[in-house]
Amino acid sequence: MEKAGRSFGSFTAVTVKHCALIALVLLAVFPLYWMVVTSLKPESEVFTSSLIPLHITLDNYVQAWNAIPMGRMLTNSFVVAVIQTVMQLLTSILAAYAFTRWEFRGSNLIYGLIALTWLVPFQVIMIPNYVAISGFGWRDQLAGLIIPNIASAFAVLQLYNAFKSYPKPLIEAARLDGASDWGVLWRTIMPNLKAPIASIGILLFITSWNDYFWPLLVTTKLDNSTVQKGLQMFISSDGNMWGALMAATTIASLPVLIIYLLLQRQIIDSFVKGGLK
Amino acid sequence: MSYEAVGTTRQAAGAKAQSKERKPFLLRLGRIKPYLYLLPALASIGFWVYKPLIQTFQLSVYQWNLLPTSPKQYVGMKNFTNLTGLPEMGIALWNTLIYTLGVIPFSLIIPLIIAIATDNISRKASNLYRALIFLPMIMAPVAVSSVWRWIMHPTNGILNKALTDWFHLSEPIRFFTDERWAIWSITFITGWKLIGFSTLIFSAAMTGLNKEYIEAAKIDRANRFQIIWHVILPLLSPTILFMAMMSTLFASEWSFSYINVLTQGGPFNTTTNIYYLLWTYGFQSFNIGSSSAAAVVFFLGFGALAWLFLKLTKKLSFFDN
Repeated sequence: MEKAGRSFGSFTAVTVKHCALIALVLLAVFPLYWMVVTSLKPESEVFTSSLIPLHITLDNYVQAWNAIPMGRMLTNSFVVAVIQTVMQLLTSILAAYAFTRWEFRGSNLIYGLIALTWLVPFQVIMIPNYVAISGFGWRDQLAGLIIPNIASAFAVLQLYNAFKSYPKPLIEAARLDGASDWGVLWRTIMPNLKAPIASIGILLFITSWNDYFWPLLVTTKLDNSTVQKGLQMFISSDGNMWGALMAATTIASLPVLIIYLLLQRQIIDSFVKGGLK
Repeated sequence: MSYEAVGTTRQAAGAKAQSKERKPFLLRLGRIKPYLYLLPALASIGFWVYKPLIQTFQLSVYQWNLLPTSPKQYVGMKNFTNLTGLPEMGIALWNTLIYTLGVIPFSLIIPLIIAIATDNISRKASNLYRALIFLPMIMAPVAVSSVWRWIMHPTNGILNKALTDWFHLSEPIRFFTDERWAIWSITFITGWKLIGFSTLIFSAAMTGLNKEYIEAAKIDRANRFQIIWHVILPLLSPTILFMAMMSTLFASEWSFSYINVLTQGGPFNTTTNIYYLLWTYGFQSFNIGSSSAAAVVFFLGFGALAWLFLKLTKKLSFFDN
């Protein structure tokens, strides 16, 4: 817009823009920076306001690791998140394929029912689901954490959008070559939609890793729970072990942060496209 | 949640792939095929979302204490008529309103201002800003609670240390245990997680705007303020409405985790909200009837609110289509 003849006015305008953004960045990043910094400080330094750790130590991490069954809970979180993500992808790939591939009676109604689940808050259905899980004897079991979440309405809707963009003539061509419906899905469509499916998968993994209420509800022993619940127990056990708490928080956030570091572009795009839940 | 989900309008997928020379059996198989593909997702959503929803409606007319061995006692509409007299109901509703309004600066106002002000910033710089601003969104609510608990700690937290240095406070602010501060602390944390995300949504909408309208307004010698007010904001209205709806419907749900980890509704119930109330009725006082009745009322209330928003969206989003 104002490329030619950059006056003093437009220069200050640009400066103000950057200042506003930098303020927002600081607000977003400082708490996480402070988390990592505190976790690396020795006990004598934790309560100082020094913005960098003067004597870096991993003592807090050792302490956090021993205070709660960290290894066990990280494994649980990982197993739950991976299985859940794979199952959600599978069920929603099949569903999205059905919606794009065929016209059938009730398709709009079924789609509407899936879409409308976003109006049902977790707290409204938690009691019956808790009763169901208890009835199956799945409390304190990974099955109880995973099975209620093998389908995701969000994933169905997102994948439907991705599938819709796949050119119909290519499907027709594959059909003429004698491919079955099943074959069209896995050999024609899927290889071409790897990128959107991967980014939806990442989103599902992060959501599952961060989930906290369902584990809180269906698990009682830390050994059987996920790292989010362990972290919450650590927080409420209080004490003044701030260094160790920040170390535990860092450990619990690390997988998601690493994924974000590697794939932030895709993650942001699919969040902005896909929304909030 | 996607825009599509909210609109629930699905363009009928025009797949007319069935060829007509099939045999009757295959034809019939072909007809149930889509349902077979849908079955896993549908069965799971039916069993874990819609079945419990119906059960919540059922439980709302019974008195029960969650013990499988104790009988459910039918009480009719009593749970509903008793709702208004329940302890904490009034304050929970009031707090819900505060959370809903309190989050709006973070979900709408500040992001909108920043998005409009920082449009047409260089691509390279904006990518870096985006990546950093977005960080809070991917953090787990429990981790976020943990970090802010440390930062906002009354005596050792860096925020209180800074405030004491800058403003010479006579005593540190007890952000989570002072009943004047607690609800604002929770609102702030809820907003902190959201602000970057909202900014990106609005920035994306700004990038997608048809810039011809702005150019046309410039030719007509509209000033910057007039352009924003008469051109940009109306063009952004679908996005604004979408974020307003999300924020209204979910502010209380989003604050739930922070309430549970940081204040448990206290001090003196000043941070509880309707969703937290459902939680305490259900799993602390084991009053399943009340919890379910309240759940039914809130569910229908928020449903009506969502319906209103959708009608409003349909009415207003005729711009540039």
